[in-house]
Amino acid sequence: MGNNATRRCVVVARKNKGPVTRLDATSYSLNIDASDRTTLNGLLDQLRDVLMHDSSSDIARRLFPAAYHQDEQHEQEYQRLMRDELLSSRLASLSLTTSLLERETNSDSIVLSADELDALMRSINSLRLVLGTLLDVDEDEFEAHLAEDDPAYGQYQLYSYLGWLLDWIVTVQTEFN
Amino acid sequence: MPIHRLSSTDVRPAEVIDAGTDTAPDTDRPWIVLVWNDPINLMSYVTLVLQKLFGYSLEKATELMLDVHNKGRAVVSSGTREHAEFDVYRLHEHGLWATMQREDA
Repeated sequence: MGNNATRRCVVVARKNKGPVTRLDATSYSLNIDASDRTTLNGLLDQLRDVLMHDSSSDIARRLFPAAYHQDEQHEQEYQRLMRDELLSSRLASLSLTTSLLERETNSDSIVLSADELDALMRSINSLRLVLGTLLDVDEDEFEAHLAEDDPAYGQYQLYSYLGWLLDWIVTVQTEFN
Repeated sequence: MPIHRLSSTDVRPAEVIDAGTDTAPDTDRPWIVLVWNDPINLMSYVTLVLQKLFGYSLEKATELMLDVHNKGRAVVSSGTREHAEFDVYRLHEHGLWATMQREDA
């Protein structure tokens, strides 16, 4: 599994407070500026396109894994019954995330409900699954070994940023528990 | 998936194969749900998902997460086939790499 090294993400110098903070028992604040939110929404649009149109690549297999790896007949039956449901769930999560990111465009923070934070978390994780699969990441640190002129440098930075954001989303929920 | 690579413990499921003969009736052996190691999901995220989906304590969820990380996989739930399918679906919803099989399969 990936580790928490993503906290050392150096993509952008961030504010003193984290990108997600808890306001009370049922609400949170997402503290990223409009530019970052626009970038995230662009990525979510691309993810939506992958979900809708890609059914055979490594990325699709990662987003829709096999349930029965030892039983082909059961696996086919499972996918026939559950794949569309999983697709609908992912699209609903993306839709909710997109709409919340488009709120309060003049502010650097957005108030989120617990359900919205969960949708954001799952969407960010889906983006990481896609990027991580594209980049064929392993569990070793990779940032230090990647030259800035490497064609994949930008994608790695984005992958790190998403990991940093996801780790904060997890932490803010874990600290509450 | 299968994922491209599992760097520390490459024990990912093999390609889908025919399970072959099953001598015991379905009711004799429960189904188990496994979560497999992958290099993308954050350890903290996996721990939180296990807590949220199964109600595990932080200690139990962390123990399972570390089993996934160090041993390549962990059994996170068991029960009827329908229950296992439901759990696998919820884990897939959260992006974890989960499969199910009969116990001792």
